[in-house]
Amino acid sequence: MRKSLLIVVVTVLASACGRFAVRPNEKEHLADPIMTFTQDPQESSADEHVLSNREGAAGGAGAGGGGCGCN
Amino acid sequence: MQLSRPRLDPRRLGAAAVMIASLATAAGADDGVDTNVTWYQEQRQGGQGGLTVIHPQFDGAVDVGEHTTLSLGYAADAVTGATASVYAVDAISTATKFSDLRHEGTLGLAFAGKRSSLSATGTVGVERDYLSLAVGGTAAIDLPGKNTNLALSYSHARDQVCDKSNSERQPLERRALTGADACAKDNGVFGADTLDSTMTVLTTWRDLVIDTAQGTLTQNLSPTMVLQASLYGQVLEGFQSNPYRRVRVGPNEPQEHIPDTRARVALSVRLNRYLTKLRSAVQVSARAYSDTWGVNAATMELAYSQYMGSSLLLRVRARAYQQTAATFFKDAFFYETESTAGSYFTGDRELAPVRNAVIGGKLTLLSIAEDDHKVWGLFDRVDWNLKADVFLLDELPADDADANLGGRGSQFLTSGQLLDAFELQVGLRTAW
Repeated sequence: MRKSLLIVVVTVLASACGRFAVRPNEKEHLADPIMTFTQDPQESSADEHVLSNREGAAGGAGAGGGGCGCN
Repeated sequence: MQLSRPRLDPRRLGAAAVMIASLATAAGADDGVDTNVTWYQEQRQGGQGGLTVIHPQFDGAVDVGEHTTLSLGYAADAVTGATASVYAVDAISTATKFSDLRHEGTLGLAFAGKRSSLSATGTVGVERDYLSLAVGGTAAIDLPGKNTNLALSYSHARDQVCDKSNSERQPLERRALTGADACAKDNGVFGADTLDSTMTVLTTWRDLVIDTAQGTLTQNLSPTMVLQASLYGQVLEGFQSNPYRRVRVGPNEPQEHIPDTRARVALSVRLNRYLTKLRSAVQVSARAYSDTWGVNAATMELAYSQYMGSSLLLRVRARAYQQTAATFFKDAFFYETESTAGSYFTGDRELAPVRNAVIGGKLTLLSIAEDDHKVWGLFDRVDWNLKADVFLLDELPADDADANLGGRGSQFLTSGQLLDAFELQVGLRTAW
C-alpha cells in the first residue's frame, strides 16, 4: 500500500514538474535575479545571524536556488 | 569592568547553521568578491546604553577549472554593550558592560556539472571563550526539463565552550563564568583546562556537537512562478547553557542549567511570483518550527522587489514571528518564589514567549557590463547595496500574569520596549 502511494506521489510530481512544465524559452522571468530565493547570500547570512540571537527557532528558513531551476 | 557573555551572542547561530544556507548557493557561485558590513543596534532600558554589533563579511570565489570553484570567506563580530548577569525580577540592577570579538574563516570547494552540483565547506570560528569547527556538504540535481531542483545539505560541527569547573557540583550550586576567569588554549586554538598553583581546575572546556541536515525542493510552477519547500533538522548534543548567565532561584543564584540534548525541525515554504507588467516580484514565505524543548514557532514574510529604471532595485519586506516558551522557562518572579520547573532553569530570552516583527528595505545600485564595456574596465557586474531594518519586540508572559507580583517590566534589559533594534547594512558585490 505504501509503495503504491509512493509511486502515485512520485508520478504526479514528475508529471507536474517534468520537462513540459515550463519550456526553456519561457524562463526569461524565472531567470531574473529577483526571482531567486537568496538574492544576496551575505545579506541572508547576516539576517540569520541576527535573528538567531533574537529568536529561539533558528535555522530552516530555506536555501538558495530558484530562478530558472538550473545550475 | 566585568566581561560577561553578550546578550547578542555571535556564536549562537554557529558555523553549522550558517553553513547549510551558504552551501546551497556555493555551487552556483560566480567568480567575484562580495563585501558587506552590518551595524546592529539594540536598545537597553535602565540607562545601561545599548548593544552594538559590527559584523564585517568578505567572500571571494574563483574558478579553478571548467567545473570547479574555490571560495574563501571571512567574517567577524565586534560586540559591545550591556548584559544582565542575573536573571531576576530586577535584572537591570545586575547589568554589566562587556565586549567580545569573534573571527570566522571559511574554505569551500564546489563542482558544477550540466545538471548537478556538489560542494564542500569547512569553517573555523574562534573567540576568547568559544571554538567552533564545522564541515559540510551539499549535493543538488536538476531533474529533466530543469524545472525541478532537489538539494540535500548536511553539516557536522564540534564546538567547545569555556566554563567554570563545576563537575562535582549540583545544578543549584554551580558557579557562572566571569570575564575575569581565564580560558586557556593549546596552541592558541583548542581549549585546555586552566589550573591554579595547586593544580586545581579553575575553568574547563565543554563540548557541543551539532548535526544539521536540510532537504530542499525547488519547483518552477509557471513561467512567472517558482516554489520552494525545505525540511530542516538539527540535533545539538552537549553544553548549551550560557556559562556567564545566572538565574535567581529562591535565595541562590546558580549558573543557568538547560538540557544537553535538543532536536529541532522546521518546514518552510516560499513562493516567488514575477509581475511582468511591473518588472517586479512578490515573495511570500511561511515557516513552522518545533523542538524537543517545547519551543514552537511560526514565521510569515512578505517581500516585494521592484526595478526602477535600468540601474536601481528596491526591495521592501515585512516579517512576523511568534514562539512559545521552552517547557522549563519561567518568568523571573516564579523562579524566585516557586523554584524551578523540573531540573532546569534559564534566563534566556530566546526561550521565552516572544513576538518579533521586522520591517525594512534595501536599495541596490546595479551596474552591468554591456557588450565589451566592462564595469570599471574589469567586472561583468557591480552591485552597491544599502539596507535598513527595524525590529519590533513584544515579550509575552510565560506564567499567570495576575499572579506575577514582581512584574515582568525589568526581568530582561529589553523588557517593555516595542522598538527594540535597528540594522544598517552596506555591501558591494562584484562578478567577473
